[in-house]
Amino acid sequence: MIDLREKQGPKRIAALAVCISILAALGAAPNQASAQETVSVRLKWLAQAQFAGLYVAKAKGYYTAEGLNLTINPGGPNLNAESLVASGADTFAVGGGTEASLASRDKKLPIVTLGMLHQRTPVVMVVLEDSPIQKIQDFKGKKITSFFTGLQHTVTAMLTNQGMSPSDYSLTAQAVSMTPFINRETDVAMVTLYNELNVLKARGVKVRIFAPDDYGVSVPRDSLITSEKMIAEKPKAVQGFMNATLRGWKYAIKNQSEALDIVMAAAPGLERGHQTLMLQEVGKLMLADTGTTEGLGALNMPRLKAAHDMLLNAKVLSGPVDFNTAFDLKFWNAVPAADKKM
Amino acid sequence: MRTGLGSQLAALIGLLVLWEVGVRVFGVAPHNMPTASAVFRDMAGNMDLIGRGVVRTLSETIIGFVIGATIGFVFGSAFAVSRTLERLLFPLFIVSQAIPVIAFGALVVMWLGNDIWSKVAIAAYLTAFPVTVNTCRGMQAVDPQRVALLRSFGAGPWALFWRLRVPYALPSIAAALKLGISLGLIGAIVGEWFGDTVGLGIMLLQAMYNENLPRMWALILVCGAIGILLYAAFEAIERRWIWWKQEI
Repeated sequence: MIDLREKQGPKRIAALAVCISILAALGAAPNQASAQETVSVRLKWLAQAQFAGLYVAKAKGYYTAEGLNLTINPGGPNLNAESLVASGADTFAVGGGTEASLASRDKKLPIVTLGMLHQRTPVVMVVLEDSPIQKIQDFKGKKITSFFTGLQHTVTAMLTNQGMSPSDYSLTAQAVSMTPFINRETDVAMVTLYNELNVLKARGVKVRIFAPDDYGVSVPRDSLITSEKMIAEKPKAVQGFMNATLRGWKYAIKNQSEALDIVMAAAPGLERGHQTLMLQEVGKLMLADTGTTEGLGALNMPRLKAAHDMLLNAKVLSGPVDFNTAFDLKFWNAVPAADKKM
Repeated sequence: MRTGLGSQLAALIGLLVLWEVGVRVFGVAPHNMPTASAVFRDMAGNMDLIGRGVVRTLSETIIGFVIGATIGFVFGSAFAVSRTLERLLFPLFIVSQAIPVIAFGALVVMWLGNDIWSKVAIAAYLTAFPVTVNTCRGMQAVDPQRVALLRSFGAGPWALFWRLRVPYALPSIAAALKLGISLGLIGAIVGEWFGDTVGLGIMLLQAMYNENLPRMWALILVCGAIGILLYAAFEAIERRWIWWKQEI
């Protein structure tokens, strides 16, 4: 018996020490949490240069400086950033954009839009360079494909402005690949300026571009969103997120090569050449119009209102959305000019 | 066995040659089908990247498989022993299989977050069902006369379970495990589609959306190879340790 006790003695002390250190760690945790708010941001898509500003802000410690312990959660084809924020699974998100924000409010999701990254419609319609389609009126009777993520309404609105009705053309959902377009199975396709257009360029496919913004339809996309609950309970964290995110974007646009290093380190599977072009295009979209005059991430309210009316017309929204609850300008307004003005 | 492997290898090489020659002779555009050599060049040039993906996806698969197989064994045994439990819960297992993993995946991310555990959960979810069914059916197929015989020798319920039901069901459980490990791999890959930065599933998505076809084929081949190796490992285990058939 005595032998046994002697053998167990040191072990017990060790066990006690472990227990004490665990208790100490547990005791310390709440203190740390009050200093650093643990939050997450959901991306609307896979980790890539489209979100460089957030990865830069994280790598440079901008979020930490704002008191945020932030995790970046990449998205994917089957995830809806708006629902994840509404459910509380994520604190913030880079959401779909104008259509997604308005549709969420229409569905009574407690989502609030704080800023908008792409100031113009980031997608354009393309036809092959040798196509007989020279002007937008030539879309009549043609086969058009579009992403059916809400962007199809942009196409419809753009053509309605030109006096065409939906029965004048065929509009169907576009596959992941640009191959059907290259193989001339469709006449007109949709591309994002920062991804598919570069894929076409890389393949040496020459195209003519029809941009919705040139035909009176502008749908800003890539929204910064959070929940009503966060705004009510933790406005300081919301402000910190906005400050750090826009500061990160400013740095990323100014130092693109370094920003790409950071993105590539976070998602090593990416192809650098493609990401370089992506960041260049995203930078242009962010600096367009109010992005330069007001600052990065600005909410261009007249433009958003016009997009809202277009969606209401298309009966995508069941009724008018209250802009006072759907958008909250105070956080963007409070971001220091040094963080958002280039 | 050895000659079998040799001819299998020859067939594989033959197929690759046919692929390479076919694409070249018919002048197939690279965005429709890359040549085999382009695929292998991409694979060779990105070994560390693909290696990291393999480690991650394989870990998700194996952890998910172990959890799923355990759940399957426990519930399958419970259903075999208790008719009431089977009537109450088995329909739920069937319903769970009718739900597409895609619908379920978004929920898993909400519940378990974005790290490895959400992928493990989906792998386990896919593995559990075949193991449950085969464990249950395998144990139910035990000849009642053998049960009566062992009882007459004074065997209690635990002895009956471990000495008769489990060995009797093992061949059918082993068949389910082979199916389960393949499903687990699919679960891990699909699970990564719900947001991640490392893993074969996420690399497949990146390749798909950037239309990097050599990479896509390289990943398809790697996934296929892992699937075959996992299956072969279980086949070997089965041959070595579960050599008997159900009629003991």
